[in-house]
Amino acid sequence: MGEQELFWVMSPVIVLASLTLLFARKAVYVLAGMIVVMIGLAVFYVTLEAPFLGMIQVIVYTGAIMMLILFVLMLVGVDQKESLRETIRGQRWIALAAATGLVVLIVTTVYRIELPIRDIGGMNDGGNPQVIANALFGEWVLVMEILGLVLISAAVSAIVLTHLPRSGDRRSQAERAEERVRARLNPVNKPMPGVYARRNALDVPAIDPEGKPVPASISRVLKARKQDKDGSEWRAIGKDEAAE
Amino acid sequence: MTFESPIIEWAPLAPVLIVFAAAVLGIVIETADPKVWIRRRLQVALALVATLAAAATAALQWSVLDGDGTRVVVDRIICDRHSLIWMVMIAVFAALAILLFSSRVGGDDAFAPLAAAAPGSEEEREASEKGLAQTEVFPLALFSVGGMMLFTMVSDTLILFIVLELISLPLYVLVALSRRRRLLSQEAALKYFLMGAFASAVYLFGAALIYGGAFSTSFTIIDTAIVQYHGREALVLVGTVLALVGLLFKLGAVPFHAWTPDAYQGAPTPVTAFMAAATKAAAVAALIRFLYLAVHRFEWEIAPVLWTIAIATMLVGTVAAIVQTDIKRMLAYSSIAHGGFVLVAVTSFEREALSAAVFYMLAYGLATLGAFAVVGQVREVTKDGSLGAEATRLGQWAGLGRRSPWMATAMAVFLLSFAGIPLTAGFIGKYVAFKAAFDSGGWPLVVVAVLAAVVAVFFYVRVIVLMFLTPVPEDLKDAVEVTESTGPSLVVGITALATVLLGVVPSVVLDLASNAAILVP
Amino acid sequence: MTEHMNPYVPILVMIGVATALAVAGVVVSRFIGPHRYNKAKLSPYESGMEATPGAAGGGRVPIRYYLIAMTFIVFDIEIVFLYPWAIAYERLSLFGLVAILSFLALITVPFVYEWRRGGFDW
Repeated sequence: MGEQELFWVMSPVIVLASLTLLFARKAVYVLAGMIVVMIGLAVFYVTLEAPFLGMIQVIVYTGAIMMLILFVLMLVGVDQKESLRETIRGQRWIALAAATGLVVLIVTTVYRIELPIRDIGGMNDGGNPQVIANALFGEWVLVMEILGLVLISAAVSAIVLTHLPRSGDRRSQAERAEERVRARLNPVNKPMPGVYARRNALDVPAIDPEGKPVPASISRVLKARKQDKDGSEWRAIGKDEAAE
Repeated sequence: MTFESPIIEWAPLAPVLIVFAAAVLGIVIETADPKVWIRRRLQVALALVATLAAAATAALQWSVLDGDGTRVVVDRIICDRHSLIWMVMIAVFAALAILLFSSRVGGDDAFAPLAAAAPGSEEEREASEKGLAQTEVFPLALFSVGGMMLFTMVSDTLILFIVLELISLPLYVLVALSRRRRLLSQEAALKYFLMGAFASAVYLFGAALIYGGAFSTSFTIIDTAIVQYHGREALVLVGTVLALVGLLFKLGAVPFHAWTPDAYQGAPTPVTAFMAAATKAAAVAALIRFLYLAVHRFEWEIAPVLWTIAIATMLVGTVAAIVQTDIKRMLAYSSIAHGGFVLVAVTSFEREALSAAVFYMLAYGLATLGAFAVVGQVREVTKDGSLGAEATRLGQWAGLGRRSPWMATAMAVFLLSFAGIPLTAGFIGKYVAFKAAFDSGGWPLVVVAVLAAVVAVFFYVRVIVLMFLTPVPEDLKDAVEVTESTGPSLVVGITALATVLLGVVPSVVLDLASNAAILVP
Repeated sequence: MTEHMNPYVPILVMIGVATALAVAGVVVSRFIGPHRYNKAKLSPYESGMEATPGAAGGGRVPIRYYLIAMTFIVFDIEIVFLYPWAIAYERLSLFGLVAILSFLALITVPFVYEWRRGGFDW
């Protein structure tokens, strides 16, 4: 399959996927669409004899950048929807008109221009990453170091804005056990939940030797969320047992 | 396959390397995590020494420079007299800004004690009581300063983009770190970041189109490609217009100015001063290099675009400034208008414009640093008698001349300089800028500029009248206080003195600036 | 088999085999596996609990996860520069070594900073 055919197969896929950015209702769908776009671009890079760039596209963009965006979505809440109320009236139409103008300008310009076919045969002699190594450590070496500085400021900024230092000292397990004993609380572990024959789950209480449920065996988080069960549904002896 | 190490002239990079080394060292100090007061002193000293040393090194290089300049990396990074004078200017602005960064009023600096704590939360109160300080602001600012200095030397669209990011990233974060009115500050940072990221993307799109037409990212090669490659120059032209968006955004030119009032108002005042003075200078320097070296053959095509933007910038900045009731917002709109005035000179594509832009930005930057230094000192007094946030409502500035005569006088000097009244630096700046445009036949632009400048006098003088001729309102007598901390007072003194000196005896600096009107391709 | 087999053919074969195995696993167990169900077996499983209708607390995760993502990106970009150096280190000689080492040193600074500030403590 030639480059041309591949282009005509991949382009519609990429364009369709990129439309999710405009029309998808949920941010996660947008993300999935963007991943398709990124991988499609990687395919183009590889067919255009830039395999290294293609791999980087997958590793850095599809891998890391998309993951970062996904994290941001998770921070905001996956189900959050954007308010579409316009604060400036007619803003959408103004933006649309301006965007159309820009598209017309760029498309007509690019359409009119005839790019010469450059003979780049031999450009990748010795291997594409080898050629890139020469360029990267050649005239672009300063740029690499500047990028190091950009990364420092990015990482430090991220810490400044997001990292809350732990207030107070962290106590070890032994210290906490000792405190419990001193306070004359129950020194042993709480029983594990879920001992009923038909359900071995976190939300069903354990049972004590007398056959009574032990409420303390269920996580208090589940209780707060009202996701706990009393367990009667799954009692080993019961009517529904006979029915099955 | 063989490899030859690139030829890099390291010596001209020295001022930039000093700043970057200090920035990295600053992070190392943070890593060692000494006690807050030690950390603070170390960082302040380091930042001050680094910026002053960078200014001195750049000045030294100017004096020993044989010829017009040095090619650090051929066709990509070039250090000439023009970039050297900008570097000295930016480093001096940065040193003054660091003084503002380090100033404390009532034991509190302008930055949040713990930026990661939610505004109004328990953690924040605790951090404030413990006297924590986010001393990372100093290394972050240094990264930005180093980027700005490098920005003036870059002559390559790709490197320009990366350095642009190096300048912007720390600024986005610094804007978010205000100690008081934190939600406003965080909102400002988010707006600045989103718009900035968008502008960067548009710039990158432009750079890609230029590359498509010229097959190079180097300014020098783009310049020759425009003539050589017939039929493709339209691609370069469209790319140029898009790339200009990114640079004009940093300058805050209309219609890419929307972030300016919010970011300037929400940011901690020292950061506002730093952004307004240094970032703008760096943006003008890079804009000039891009326009004059890479695409000056498109003068006929780009000039109308730049003219339109310059006129819109001056008008929007001036008109919007008139109706502001908040001093920081007013200064923000005034800084937009000043961006328009400097564009008037830049659009002329004449050699004169190079020196005019240098002088204009020097005059504007000094007055801006001073003005925001004063803004940081006018404080509200809370009910329990302690000093609160800055009193930025114009009404609170009534009778400032009685509260602190010398601060108010200095502020009046800065405002007069903004207005372009004779005997201040601003007058000479406007004169040389408009002259450069006039001599190249841009008289309609100059007419608009003069009209805008006349209208602008109104709101500057209004503040002066408010400070000196209006009595202190009865109910605000004890609600506002002017603190006179050492650092900001020093900045106010230096900048006021420099503003007057540049207005009375401008010839020394004008000569230097005209010597700097050289761009090495 | 021709002398110059396309290097991607084995990969295609591998993809085919993998797909076939995955599909076969599902399909075959459907036909030959025992089918004995009860209520507990049929109920959806989420750590044993009843599946929750929506994520608790609106599905928001704490901001500190962002640091992990950020750190990951820094190392990811490091790979981009390390790989070309690694395959050409002999040719790039001392200059390349100094260049990559200074880059690595720069990257290490925020990493150590993050570690010392407790960015990796949970």
